[in-house]
This record gives sequence, C-alpha cells and structure tokens, in this order.
Amino acid sequence: MGQSKPINSRSILVVEDEALIRFNLINYFENAGFTVYDAENADGAISILDANSSIRVVLTDIQMPGSMDGLRLAHHIRNRFPPTILFITSGVISLSERDMPADSFFLPKPFNPRSVVRTIDGLRG
Amino acid sequence: MTNIETSPFVDRLLAWSLRHSIRPLTGNVIATVAIIMVGLIRALFVASIVPWLLFIPAVLLIALVLGRATGIYASILAAIVAGLSIGHASEPLWLTLPQWTGSIVFVAVASGIAILAAELRAAFARATRLANEKEAASLQLAEREAFLSSVLASSTDCIKVLDLDGRITFMSEGGQKVMEVSDFNEIAGCLWPDFWQDKGNVDARAAIAAAKAGESHSFTGRAETIAGTPKWWHVAVSPVLGRDGMPERILSVSRDITASREHEEERGQLVRIVENSADFIGIARLDGSVFFLNDAACQLVGLDPGAINSVMITDFFPPAEAEAVLMEVLPTVTRDGSWSGERMFRHFQTGELIPVFYTVFPVTDYDGTLIGYGTVTRDFRERRRAEEQQVLLNHELSHRLKNVLSVVQSVAAQTLRQADNLHDAGEALSARLVALGEATNVLTAQSWASADLAELTARALAPHGGLGDRIHAEGPPVTLKPEVTLALALALHELATNAAKYGALSNATGQVWLSWSIDEGTEPGGSRFLLNWRETGGPQVVPPTRRGFGSMMIERSLRSYFKATAQIEYLESGLVFCLDAPLGEAAMVSK
Repeated sequence: MGQSKPINSRSILVVEDEALIRFNLINYFENAGFTVYDAENADGAISILDANSSIRVVLTDIQMPGSMDGLRLAHHIRNRFPPTILFITSGVISLSERDMPADSFFLPKPFNPRSVVRTIDGLRG
Repeated sequence: MTNIETSPFVDRLLAWSLRHSIRPLTGNVIATVAIIMVGLIRALFVASIVPWLLFIPAVLLIALVLGRATGIYASILAAIVAGLSIGHASEPLWLTLPQWTGSIVFVAVASGIAILAAELRAAFARATRLANEKEAASLQLAEREAFLSSVLASSTDCIKVLDLDGRITFMSEGGQKVMEVSDFNEIAGCLWPDFWQDKGNVDARAAIAAAKAGESHSFTGRAETIAGTPKWWHVAVSPVLGRDGMPERILSVSRDITASREHEEERGQLVRIVENSADFIGIARLDGSVFFLNDAACQLVGLDPGAINSVMITDFFPPAEAEAVLMEVLPTVTRDGSWSGERMFRHFQTGELIPVFYTVFPVTDYDGTLIGYGTVTRDFRERRRAEEQQVLLNHELSHRLKNVLSVVQSVAAQTLRQADNLHDAGEALSARLVALGEATNVLTAQSWASADLAELTARALAPHGGLGDRIHAEGPPVTLKPEVTLALALALHELATNAAKYGALSNATGQVWLSWSIDEGTEPGGSRFLLNWRETGGPQVVPPTRRGFGSMMIERSLRSYFKATAQIEYLESGLVFCLDAPLGEAAMVSK
C-alpha cells in the first residue's frame, strides 16, 4: 500500500472545515515538527498546494462544504501532485482501498494524529 | 239415519245372490225346482181351498233372490203347477171357471209381487253399493286426513290459521314446537301481529290487510318465540278462500331462518371486512386471471375497478418479480399451502415500484380442489420508508457522535497541551465538557437541526452563576445553525470563565452585558448577526501576555465557524468581545 519513495519535506496540509478539530491538528503537527498549512475547504487546499510545492502530505476530511468534497480533492491531488501522501478521514463513511486514490490511507474519525506521524515516518524509512 | 231392522237371513241371502250373479238359465232351473217342490208339498200336505197361497212366499223369495224375470216365470209356473194339482179331468177345460179366474188373478198378483220383490232386490243392491262406496270414501278420507295431519305435524314451519282479524285459531304441531308453545290454549285467539315488534309488527299488519283483500304477502322479520328466544322468520301470509271465493280465513306460514340469517350476517360481515380492508385483497383463478380485488387493492396499484377481470397475477409485478412469483411463489402455495414475504408490486399507471408484504394462500372448492389463489397484501412503503429513515437516523447519529467525539478529542488535547499543570487541565477540561454537553442538549431538543440562542446562552452561562443578576443577556429570537452552536457555547463558556478569573465576575460588583442583534443592512443578503460581550465594574484590565486556548478558541474558531470578524479588546473599563457575522452563516431563521 505504501510507497517507498523518501519524503524530503516535512510539511503537511490539513484540510478540515471543523475549526475546533483543525486547530488541534495544526497544533499537534506543529509540535511534531511539521510545517503545517491549513484550509477549510477543497478550494483553499488547492490554492495552498499550488503555492507550496514542498507539501508532500495532505490530511483531508471528506465531508466539507464547497464545490468539492475531500474524496474528490484527494483524487485531484493524486493526479496533479502524484507523490503526495494522502490521509483521508471521515466520521460518516468508511472507505476501502478501491474507493481511494493509490497511496492513500483512510482514518475513521476520531483518529489519533500520532498514527499519521508514525505512518509518515515509516514511509520515510 | 234410522236403521230398519232386517232379517239377517234374507240380508245374507240377498247379499249372497248379489255377489254371485246367477245365470238366467240356472235361475230358471232353481225356480222350476222350487215351484214344483212347493206344488208337491201343497198336493201332499195341504188340501187347500186356495191352492195358490202357498206359492206366494216362494215366488217372492225367487224374485228377491233371482230377479224379476225369474220371478214372473215362477209366478206363471206356480199358476200352472197349482192348476195341474187342482184340476180335474171331468172338467172340459181342466179347471172350473172360478179356478181359471183365480189362476189368472194369481198370475197377475204373483207377477206384481215378483216385480215388487225384484225392485226391492235392486234397491238393496243399490243400498249395498252405496254403503260400500261410502265406506271406501270415508276410508280414503280418513287416510287423507291422517296424511295431512302428519304433514302438518312434521313440518318445521309454523303453520297457523288466523281469522280475518288476525286471531290465531290453529297452529300446527311442528309450529308449536318451533314457536316453543307449551299450551296452544295460551295463544289461541291472540292477535298474531302482536307477536311482532317494531317493523315486524307493521309488516304483519300489512300482511293481514293484504290477505283480507285476497292477496298473498310475505316478509322477513325478527320475533321472539313464546319462550323468549329471539329468531328470524320468513313469513308467507295468504288468504284461505271460502265457497264464495272471498277470503274466509288467513293462512300464515312462518319459517325459522335464524341460522341462515346468522350465516348470511356472518358472510356479510366478512364481505364488508374484505371490501373495507386497507390491505390489498385479491383472488385469482388457477390460470392467473384475476376475478376479485377490493378497493384498497385497486387503489394501491392504480387499477381501474372495471379492468379487474382483464389482468393477470403477473401484471402486478415488474418482470423479474413476476417470474419469481410464477416459478417460486405459486408452486409453493400449491405445495405448502401458503407463501408470504416481501415483494415489489408495480403501479399500473405510473410504473412505480411498491414494496409490499405479499401473502398468498390457496382457494379451494368444497371438496378441497385447488381452484385459485387468494392474497392479502400489505403496503410496505411506509414501513420501508420508516426503515430507511431509521437507517438514516442511525447513520446520522453515528456521524454526529463521531463528530462530537472528534471535537472533544481536540478540546481535550489542546486543554492538556496548554495547561500549566494536570490539576488545572482537569478542571478546565471538565468545565469545557459541561459547556459542550449543554450545547448538545440544546441541539438535541431540535433534533440537531438548530439551536435557540437565548436557550444556548442561558445553559452555557448558568454554571458561572449570577445569570440575570450580574450577567445580563438580551437579544431578539435567533435560531442558530447547528454547525456554529458547539463553538459558540464553548466561546461563551471561555468568556465567562475568563471574566470569573480576571474580569468583571472576579469581584463583587462587576457586570457582564451580553447582547445580540440583527442588522438588516442595505444590500440584499447583507444582513449581519452581531454579538457583543461587554464587562463593566471589574478590576483594572491587564491584557494577557500569553494567549491560551481560551482566547484562541474565542477569536479564531468563531472567525472560522461564523466567517466573521471576532475581536477581543482589553479596554480599561473592561473586556469587550465583538462578533460580526453574515446572518446566513450564523442563523437558520431570524425574526
């Protein structure tokens, strides 16, 4: 499932409309040594990715207001920024590998952000 | 009739002679022998002066027994025999003139007697015949009467004869049984219509009037027997005509139809149940052609009641279902006696699929031969909708629960991360969870669709005390969107906590003024939701050096949730917090 390509940039984009959750994730990943970007919706996320090519990890919620939900955003990113590692979360639906772009990880909400860091570290191998 | 005594011997002799018709020749021989014998007796023993006298009884008897002709013959023969016995050869004409005269007179008299006797004989014969005929007739009559009375007695109908006023004069034995009459005298002479109540009474009177006018009439009614058993009767009332062709009496025949009536009523009730049932009820023949559908059935599938006879069982289903019904359902019914399960009907007009609970049972004739299929089918749309709704609700509940848990996880993580020590963290987290709990209470009251701001404010601030006394909240009714509710509740909690620690609620006199309003604005869709938290009378304000979860929570999260400007100002007179958001981001409905 994982890819063996090393990740050079320790930066992450958190896409989550629920601010209380987003702030915690930002806080957590900052403390874990990441450069953290955040967006409330898919459009914001795409703008940030366009402007910051160094971002290699995206963590996105599926249920979000706006023109695109998190799953479509994930597919978009996979096409547009292929090496990006994707973490997709949802409290509503459960995704199997088939439903997701390649090299994606599904996290049912609520999830432990530590597992995200561990996965990234593992890939960095 | 007075009986005339007759000699039994003559009677028997006459009867015997009538029974045995004697041929004329035999009669004449008998007569000849008898007369000659009488002649001999007379010649030998009776030296009579009147020689013919002795012959008279013989002639009489002969005429009586053997008839007129033989009687006359005997008379003439007697005259000859007598003449022979009294004549004398010295006389030129054998007899003297007086003797000749006597002989002729005798012949005339004896012939007369013979004729009379023959008439008597004929009369006797007639009388005998008449008596026999009468006897036969009366025997027949008696048989007939016995037959009729046995018919009357064995009939289970109540057969009554009434006079023209409707009084009972006769009731058949069987009738007394079904009417439970123990003593006919109790009801003899009673007015028959009085046995009927209400409509029956009216009908009975009308029937009597009709019979009186010569017409027959029948009706069905309810009446109690003499013993008080309520029964249903079919009554036929007809006139009994006299010789003059006018009604003389009235015949009333009542039949106890209670059992069939009850059966009919039962049947009627069943029919009503079937017709009025809200369930789909239908019957089809073995070949699948439908011949009965109730109204509910026609309605469910949108079939015109006039078209019932032109549809087949399979027409009620979409193709795949129809196949399953033919291959699985009907064979199962034939084999096991029933089939039930969920199926899809198809609406005849719209083609809409209708989920149903389909139950099929065999319809058999009297000897148990399968002649068709019946169904009682329940519309399952509501149930399916409810089930789907239930699934949806469960899903929604799970989603909300996970969302709240995620929020709690975030609040807990940040509280712990930013606290100076574990004790403070515990206290702060407890209080924040209480505020979140209160907010979910308000949301749950509205099925998580909205939250009343006044209610939310009261609940979020209640734990801090002094609400209405030191905390003053006012504003128009606002229904918050559920998305912003948790965050606003937490923010109000943080503001109150901060006020209690450092602000207006930290001394004895400070006041908090919470107000909100809606600014209609000038542009369409430009309405704003404004919320203002102002503290007065507190200790002098010192802006904090470190911005903790509290103020971050208040400003940043509200900005995000409300797409608002949210600003805390540490004025000297007291802390002021202002939220200015597009109304559409904050509220569902504004009044």
